[in-house]
Amino acid sequence: MQYKKRIAIDKIARIVFKSTGYLVLLLLGGIFFMLLYNAIAFFLDVSPLDFITGSQWNPTAAEPVYGILPLIVSTSIVSFGAMLLAVPLGVGTAAFISEYATPKLKNILKPAIEMLAAIPSVVIGFLGIVLVGPGIADFNNLPNGLNAVNGAILLAIMALPTIITISEDAIHAVPQTYREASYGLGASRWQTLRKITIPAAAPGIIAAIMLGLGRAIGETMTVLMATGNAAVFPKGFFDSVKTITATIAIEMGEVPYQTTHYYALFAIAIVLFFMTLVANLIGEYFINRFRKYHAA
Amino acid sequence: MKGSDTEVNLAVNLAEAYNKTDPTFSMAISGGGSGLGITSLLNGQADIANSSRPLTEEEQSLFKKKNIYLKTVVFAEDATAFVVHSDNPIDEIDIHTLAKIMSGAEENWESISGSAMPITIYGRQSSSGTYSFIRKKLKIAYSQKAKEMTGNAQILEAIKIDKSGIGYVGAGYISKKIQDNQGIKVLKIKHDAAQPAVSPLDPAAIKNRVYFFQRPLYQFIPEKSWAKVQHFIQFETQGEGTQIIENSGYYLIQ
Repeated sequence: MQYKKRIAIDKIARIVFKSTGYLVLLLLGGIFFMLLYNAIAFFLDVSPLDFITGSQWNPTAAEPVYGILPLIVSTSIVSFGAMLLAVPLGVGTAAFISEYATPKLKNILKPAIEMLAAIPSVVIGFLGIVLVGPGIADFNNLPNGLNAVNGAILLAIMALPTIITISEDAIHAVPQTYREASYGLGASRWQTLRKITIPAAAPGIIAAIMLGLGRAIGETMTVLMATGNAAVFPKGFFDSVKTITATIAIEMGEVPYQTTHYYALFAIAIVLFFMTLVANLIGEYFINRFRKYHAA
Repeated sequence: MKGSDTEVNLAVNLAEAYNKTDPTFSMAISGGGSGLGITSLLNGQADIANSSRPLTEEEQSLFKKKNIYLKTVVFAEDATAFVVHSDNPIDEIDIHTLAKIMSGAEENWESISGSAMPITIYGRQSSSGTYSFIRKKLKIAYSQKAKEMTGNAQILEAIKIDKSGIGYVGAGYISKKIQDNQGIKVLKIKHDAAQPAVSPLDPAAIKNRVYFFQRPLYQFIPEKSWAKVQHFIQFETQGEGTQIIENSGYYLIQ
């Protein structure tokens, strides 16, 4: 009897956990097919070629045009700008925490960095409006600071916790024997870090960067508040940009139900979905490689 | 009560205050746009339709066909102000020039104020009622370079620090306290060079309907619902409601 009961409990537990696992898959699939279904309705009206190559996004004009190029360029400028700032800062901080910091300092730094991740994006966006934006404007003698640089700086701040935490784990996971071997050959700490530890942790660091990038691409509120949202094709870092996320957030509120414009928002959402998916998949790939590398 | 998104916040405030005076009276309020509110009256799904525009001829004939007689209440007046940075030398602007600026046909302040600076436009996002109101009034398509801000306060903050900026906000968002308005200047608007310029902050001008960017906020009520809502209408047009309307940044017309 006791034995049968145990078997039964195990069975039920397995079914429960299996179904929660499948539920996640189902949700992902459901979201994807909903996006796809509505995006197909859009492509019946507008040719995919015009959509991808069009250099103008103006759905409320008398002659609506749905070109996603300016939105993709905007999202890319802001995200890559953010990575340009966040990668050296993040990897440097991770290396410092893992290799140089005393245990006491480490105990302060790690929770502090994790707290940075807990700041709501709307607060960061607000900082962009009142602090970073005017700063950029003064520094570069521009009339205003609502541009891609502002967004990039803020997104860099938001991506830092992800990059630091995962990179630190990766650097920390490099076996101590590697370092000892290096020191044994007479290498200094800096040489060891640069030539041994970081290359050994590289897959993990790349994963950290890609996951940070995924976070930056998908971020909405901050860029909506800080980048100015002008629909014109951006020409550089100091132009106002309107990212994919901001476009969806701004336009979803007023768009008439089941019109071409409504479907268009799903079409750009699916593009966004693929952009973050690719970033995350590359991240996952390198994390797995990293695990295999050290398992060997 | 259904209708205009411009009025929905105000309507909720009014209803909440009214509910305190008469807790037995319950009402449900939703937005969705002026057109939706009017359609709901036709279908009998609402007792009051909030609208920021009068009925179209088509709508009027539909109501006639269904034998629904409407009472119209103008309970408040909404005005939109154009603001620039306080260092901008201009004090007033005519509609024609304004249309050129907002549509992007004129991109530099030089010919307007004499100082050579590119114009930066701060507008609202396209879901805002003010956004479409200005577009219709000026009969333009907005410049693609216009920045889309998510709120009136954001536009004001941006213009305070941007000497080249111009933007539009609900007149109610401009503080009555002078020290809050450092850095911004509200433009007076004139129809053309010969006409006098009118400030949106002048209650007398709004009352006489001489400011260009103003519109009445309507409520349409079918006659058979009138008895039900009569006390509420009285509350908002004569009672305590008038205070709420003024505090929310709208004007009263009486």
